[in-house]
Formats: sequence, C-alpha cells, structure tokens
Amino acid sequence: MTKVVLRSIAATAALLVLLATLPWWASDQYQLHLAALIAVYWILIAGLNLVVGFTGQLSIGHVGLLAIGAYAFAILAGRYEWSPWLALAASGSIGGVCGLLLGLPSLRLPGFYFAMATMAFALIVAELTLALGELTGGGVGLSVPGFTAPFDTPAGYYWLLLGIAMLITWLTWNVARFPWGRALVAIRDNPVAAESVGIPVFRMKLAVFVLSGITAGLSGALFASLQSYITPDTFVFELGLFFFVCIIIGGRGSILGPLVGTAILTALPELVAPLAKLGNLFYGLLLLAVVLLVPEGIGRLFEILLARLRPEREASRVLQPDTDRLAAVIRKGHQP
Amino acid sequence: MLTVLITGLAIGALYAATALAYNVMYSTSKVLSVTTGHLAMLGGVFGAWFVTSLGWHPLIALPAALIVGAFAGWLTDVIAIRRVLKRSDEHLWLLSTLALATIVQQGVGLWWGTEPKPFPRLLPQDFSAGMADQKYWLPIITTLLMAIALELFYRRTLYGKLFIAMSEDTFAARARGIETDRIRSASFAIAGALGALAGFAAGQLTFAFFALGLTLTLNGFIALAVGGLGSNIGALVGGAALGLLNAFSANLIGGEFQNTVSVGALILVLLLKPEGLFGARNVRPV
Repeated sequence: MTKVVLRSIAATAALLVLLATLPWWASDQYQLHLAALIAVYWILIAGLNLVVGFTGQLSIGHVGLLAIGAYAFAILAGRYEWSPWLALAASGSIGGVCGLLLGLPSLRLPGFYFAMATMAFALIVAELTLALGELTGGGVGLSVPGFTAPFDTPAGYYWLLLGIAMLITWLTWNVARFPWGRALVAIRDNPVAAESVGIPVFRMKLAVFVLSGITAGLSGALFASLQSYITPDTFVFELGLFFFVCIIIGGRGSILGPLVGTAILTALPELVAPLAKLGNLFYGLLLLAVVLLVPEGIGRLFEILLARLRPEREASRVLQPDTDRLAAVIRKGHQP
Repeated sequence: MLTVLITGLAIGALYAATALAYNVMYSTSKVLSVTTGHLAMLGGVFGAWFVTSLGWHPLIALPAALIVGAFAGWLTDVIAIRRVLKRSDEHLWLLSTLALATIVQQGVGLWWGTEPKPFPRLLPQDFSAGMADQKYWLPIITTLLMAIALELFYRRTLYGKLFIAMSEDTFAARARGIETDRIRSASFAIAGALGALAGFAAGQLTFAFFALGLTLTLNGFIALAVGGLGSNIGALVGGAALGLLNAFSANLIGGEFQNTVSVGALILVLLLKPEGLFGARNVRPV
C-alpha cells in the first residue's frame, strides 16, 4: 500500500520537475506557448470537470464564462489600467457571479434543458460582445496587457500559469476526494437517492457551478493575457464544445483522465497538420467514438489495459479467521 | 409593421417545423436529439446544391432532399440512439447526438463552405412581390400542412397509432408485439424528412448555411419548451410566438439581441409554467 503511494508521489514529482523545466528543453517558443495554452485550458476544465465529470451536469457553454473573464480582464487591466493581479482577481469574481446568475435558473432544469440553457448562454455572450461595441470593442476586439515582471517573458508567464494550474488541480482534487466529491458523484448517479440521504442537491450543484465559474473567469483572464488580443471570434461556441469533449474523452469522475485529455486534444491538432484542417470535425468524431465504444472515457480504458497487463497479486491472499479472538469476544458478550 | 409580422410568422414557421420534428422523435424514443436543427439545415443545403450546382428541377430536387433528410434521420437512430438507449445511462444520448450534430455541421462546412449561399427560386415569381413573396408564405404553408398531415397520421393510420402507443409506454407496446426498434427508426426517418422539407421550404429565407443547424436546434427547442413538450399544437403556437417575438424585438431594439430575447422568453415561461403552454405535467421520478 505505502509502496504504491510512494511510487505515485515519485511519479508526480518527476512530472512536476519535467513540467517546471520545460522552458529549457522545449525546442522552440511555439511549444512553450502550446504548453501555456494547455495550462490555461486546464484551469477552466479542472473546474468544469467537477460540474460535468462529478456532478453530471452537462454544461456545453462554459466558453461564455471564459469570454466574460477575458473581457473583464481586458477592460479592467487594459482600459482602466488596474494592476493585472487585481484585474485577475476581479475576473475570477465576475466569472463566479455570472456562474451564479446562470446556475440559479438553469440548474433546476433536467439534462437536455440544462445543456440547451448553457449553450444559449454561450450564444448570448457571443451576441453581446458584438453588440456592446463601446464596452468590448465590438468585432474589432481589444488588446490585452501582460503581467508585471518577472512574469512578462514567455517562460515567466508559463511558470505563473503552471503554478495556478497546479493550485487549481490541488483544489479540485481536495473537493473530489472528500465527502463533498462523494456527494457530487451521488447526485450524478441518482439525484433522488442523493436527496433521500440528506444531500442538498440544488445547493451542491450551485456551489460547484459557481466554483467552475470562478475558474472559468480566471482562465479567461489568463487566456486573454496569453493571446494579447481578443475578438468575439476567439470565443466561438465550438471552443465550449472542446472543453466538454476533453472531459468526456478523459473519463467522468476522474481528474487525471480529463487532464490527459486536455493535453492531448490541445496538442494533437497543432502537432499533426491534417487534423488541424479537420478541426472540430475531428473532435466530433472522437466524441462519438468514445461515447459509443468506451462511455467511461479513455482513462478507464488505460486502467483496464493496465489491469490486464499486471498479474493478479491480490488473488493469492487468503483470509484466516482469528478464532481465538472471536471466541473471546463472544464470551465477553455473554457477560452482563 | 405588416412586413415585420409576416417575417416573424415565416421564421416562426421554420422554428415550429423544427419543433414538430423534435416531437416526432421524442414520441417514440423520449430522446431530444441535438441533430434536429441540422436535419433542416441538410434540407436547405442539399436543396440548393441539387438545384443550383446540379441543375435539377425543383420538383426532382425536393424529393431528393427529403430522401437525404430521411436518411440522415435514420442514420441518427442507427449511430447515436440505438446502442445508447440499451445502456442505462440517462444522458448518453445527449452526448452521442451532440457528437453527431458536430460531425454533420463541420462536415457540411468543409464540403459546402462556411459562407451562406443563396437558395434558388422554387416558383417563377417576380422579386417585386413584396409581402406576397414566396419566401414568406412557402414555409408558413408547408408547416401548417406538415402539422395537419402529422395529426391525420397519428389519428387515422395504424402506424400513427403505434407511434402513440410507444409514446405512452414503450414497454407495454413491446409486450403487445410492436417492433419498437423499427418504429423508432421509422420515426427518426420521418422526422428527418420533415426537417428537410422545412429547411427546403424556408431555404430562400435562411439561405443555404452550414451553421443554421445549431440555431434551429436551439430555437426549435425553445419553441417546443414554450409550447409544451410532445404537443404539436404547442409546437405551432410556440414557434409562431417565438418568431414574432424575434421579429418585433429586432424591429424595436435591434437585431443584435435576438438570442438574448428568445432565451429570456424561454426562462420566463419555464419559471411560470415549467411544462409549457400545452404540455402534460411531468410526474416526479421517485
């Protein structure tokens, strides 16, 4: 048992060292940018994962919250020249408030209605960013300032993103492994049964949705600063679908699965040119294949394969009843 | 003002037709397919392709477009519904139809191009007709005919009664010897043909545009939810109301707030009357 824990700690540490030293061994700036993009996306997806993967609320419109965070950061830090850190915090809060406003009516709706409501939300945000030209720059877009030193270089910004992404991952991991997370899974698997054992279903859903709004707002702010220029075209509905697909492909109810899914799905079309031409068609095909063949996600597929490869060790364990102790307990029970 | 009224009714008719297609699939499978709007989009795009690029007569292009739509509907059932319904997971069909809708939309985008292309004139008519122009009344008449035909089909034919039996209770229908799988496939093919017909009739209004599907999926669903899930009258009323609301709001406060207004209306109706105007009240699952 401890051996397994030690081994996983060692693997995590090795991975972290590998990620932290990326600026030195990445072959060009573009790969570093890609890694930074994965970190930005993951900050949103980690929060969304609690909503989609754990609570089972199929939100396909989180790109709307991402856009709100991005525009809030661009307007506050760019136009009003707030400190980027203050603007980042404000973007997260605004994302959380918008998540609350979106979640209050829509989380009461059943599955398909909820998905449509979030999709409509994404379309509304896209519409408003175009319509409210004085605030958002309309179709022309806004330029976004960077962060202050030492985070103003590509490598420095990458470390900042890595740090925040790790923090968010740790946060969601804490939510997932404590009774909180179990309650969320219970809501996903059977809301009626969850309610009957005293889980406040709507309040839990709302709380986790607001959390995902906060991470989406943060992610939006960091995304805007990474891209340094945003237009309404940046936040197309298909981007929201992409976040969703990352989670479903990675596997619901896990954190590692969606993380791997995010990394692979972000990097794959960039590294394999023919896939980039297919674009969202590729994501659609992948989603269909996963839903039909392995609805539990690719992460689960790996687990099954590993279990196949590894010889059964637990099988040889034999339980020996401790008869003496049992007899002692029974004898004790007879005494008044 | 009359122009606004007739534009609203015409676009509302398209929403209503999409809602009808939703209803046909929902009656046999209890699935709300994300591909519903894309079926209408296929009707418009393929209609335009048959007439403009291949030079077919509209009378040949129409049945061809209907066949394409019916095939797409049937394919939805085979690929995205049949396997998924066998599993117990409740919302898997949402994922599979969403994936299929994305594939259809992006596939058409790659093949047809992402720009809206004009849809040909179906009947010889001068462009100066104004409000009597065919692009307004074609979708309205088509949708009304569609609703009447569906009603006759449900009430007067044996197949229609099978549909109703399945919508009441699929297990009981199966126990009485109805081949539920085949009926479901048939309902998806019918919905595909209806959607394609609506897309074909409204083609001159919407143009042959690959992204139309998603808009129609959303607006058709809003019409359906406002009118009441499963009710054809509700679909017509909801579609017309939504179309009129869109047209008048575009006229009064500008066209850039269309989605905001529609979704605002949806949320208002869902808050006041969650089952919709003509819907049957859902029983809580315990």
